[in-house]
Amino acid sequence: MKEVTYIQAINDALHEEMERDPSVIILGEDVGIYGGVFKATYGLLEKFGEERVIDTPIAESMIIGVSVGAALSGLRPVAEIQFADFISPAFDQLVQQAAKLHWRNNGALNVPMTVRCPYGGGVGGGVYHSQSVEAWFQIPGLIVVSPSTPYDAKGLLKAAIRCEDPVLYFEHKKLYRSIKEEVPEEEYIVPIRKARIARKGKDVTLISFGLMLYRSLEAALKLAEEGIEAEVIDLRTLYPMDKETIFDSVGRTRRAVVIHEAPKMGGIGGEIAAMLAEELFWKLDAPVKRIAGLDTPFPFAPTMENYYLPSTEKIVQGVRETCEA
Amino acid sequence: MELTREDLERLYDLLLLTRTLDDRLRRLFRQGRFEGTYFSAIGQEATTVVPTYLLKKDDFIGPAHREIGAMITRGVPIREVVCQVYARKESPDGGKMHPCTFGHPRYHILVPATLMAMQIPVAVGVALGYRNHRRDNLAVTFFGEGATCKGDFHEALNFAGVHKLPVVFICQNNFYAESVPLRLQTAAEDISVRAVAYGFPGVSVDGNDVLKVYEACREAFQRARSGGGPTLIECTTYRWYGHSDIDLAPYRPQEEVEAWKKKDPIPRFKRYLFEEGILTEEKEAEIIRRIAAEIDEAIDYAENSPRPDPEDVLKDVYATAL
Repeated sequence: MKEVTYIQAINDALHEEMERDPSVIILGEDVGIYGGVFKATYGLLEKFGEERVIDTPIAESMIIGVSVGAALSGLRPVAEIQFADFISPAFDQLVQQAAKLHWRNNGALNVPMTVRCPYGGGVGGGVYHSQSVEAWFQIPGLIVVSPSTPYDAKGLLKAAIRCEDPVLYFEHKKLYRSIKEEVPEEEYIVPIRKARIARKGKDVTLISFGLMLYRSLEAALKLAEEGIEAEVIDLRTLYPMDKETIFDSVGRTRRAVVIHEAPKMGGIGGEIAAMLAEELFWKLDAPVKRIAGLDTPFPFAPTMENYYLPSTEKIVQGVRETCEA
Repeated sequence: MELTREDLERLYDLLLLTRTLDDRLRRLFRQGRFEGTYFSAIGQEATTVVPTYLLKKDDFIGPAHREIGAMITRGVPIREVVCQVYARKESPDGGKMHPCTFGHPRYHILVPATLMAMQIPVAVGVALGYRNHRRDNLAVTFFGEGATCKGDFHEALNFAGVHKLPVVFICQNNFYAESVPLRLQTAAEDISVRAVAYGFPGVSVDGNDVLKVYEACREAFQRARSGGGPTLIECTTYRWYGHSDIDLAPYRPQEEVEAWKKKDPIPRFKRYLFEEGILTEEKEAEIIRRIAAEIDEAIDYAENSPRPDPEDVLKDVYATAL
């Protein structure tokens, strides 16, 4: 075992995958000479050379479009969108091109590509360096994953790179250096579309990922003092979702609270709530609650940012209400 | 490659087949024989048939939505081309895509996303793969002048120039982006001048002159294959009909249309072939007879071939079993 940070786990996965498979390439802004603004791609250029580690111009649509083409001609591109907030120019190439290409070509062509997107708040980044945009990509043909732990960061990135479909990999900036854990030295993969029970409980299910997973776990500790045993699900794959794990848990606890950073309206919490209302309604003892970012742009000033993001206290309060209902 | 007399005759054959099939399909749409709409390429054939003919069979083609000529020239069976337009199960896209989304993965032609310019970065990415794998291949992408006004065009050509990738960009400048005339699309004198900004050559040629298109492509393809990087080729041409067959193109003066019809690439090439003694009346009559029979057979085949099953929509959303 080896103790690594979340960002080190990402860097290790990239090194190992590039060593294992010569078709894996890296492209994005500042990923080569600079080693990435977060150092996720540190050391790759020196080891693998500039044909496999490509510093690109500032052109996100091109980064994704070129990745699609590269994937068609036998490469396995791992593109970096420097901040998830910068992904909007590439929306066409992701949603109209990559997502539909396999289907459009009647299954004859695959698009094995990964798009790494540093995302999330709590870092004082302001509106264009803090957003959680995962809900933009609930698109048939795309896979969206988001690891919460160093173990998953490594295992899910490897799974994404080896996947035959386009995978968006959302990595939380706040977790990069704040979370450490021991991971096996030997090879492992974290399967796509498999959620994880991060804490067992019987009274209510908290469903989350990323930084909010840690706040949900903190909330669960506080709630335990009051006699509420919360189960906490770490989603890991956000689209298409592991419905089975969610339904199994909520079927037992009969109460569900979804927590995420993105604005509540149109967030993935709405889909979870709708699925539960549609198919598990008669087993529920309380309405499904969503604790989410505000329906506003993401603010900069710390007073506003703290108010915008779900806090541990807000989660505790929300879960209490759900359990009293 | 140098064109032999056989090549020249074959090119005429392919141009005529493309034109005749296109015209038949256009009429069939008007008769209500298939759904959707139809995007005719009549008038523009030389700009796709000639480049495709000069490519190797496994060179990548990233088409737009008017590349029936690329399909024909690559040797995609006409039956499958007609099945595409009729949205039959045997269409290369399985009937999932609307008419004229011409592509065929087995023939290295991408079934395109028909949003303008989206195929351009993809072709550049394919060329990147060719470079990394040291493959002696070339990626070619077709688009109209309208697409050159979009960001994807700029981003893709800029990147291709930086890495001197084996890709050739073929712009079919037909002077209208649907209805918007060139003067409202760009203040530049022509489209090929844009290449200057990307550090590689741009050329403008008469896209209705088979031999001019051939010369421009030969030079660009050779340069790209020998590591010399991309070229932007602007072929000036004209579509005789509207953007799609529900567009009667009232935005174009009739005199302009007539003037361009006089510059039809096919009779121009035919005159040359007759002068050179490559083509004769008898040979041409034989080609016309054969083409008509092939097309009749293909349409009959497509009309009697099964439609997709409703559940086919569910297939191939993902390559992975999730």
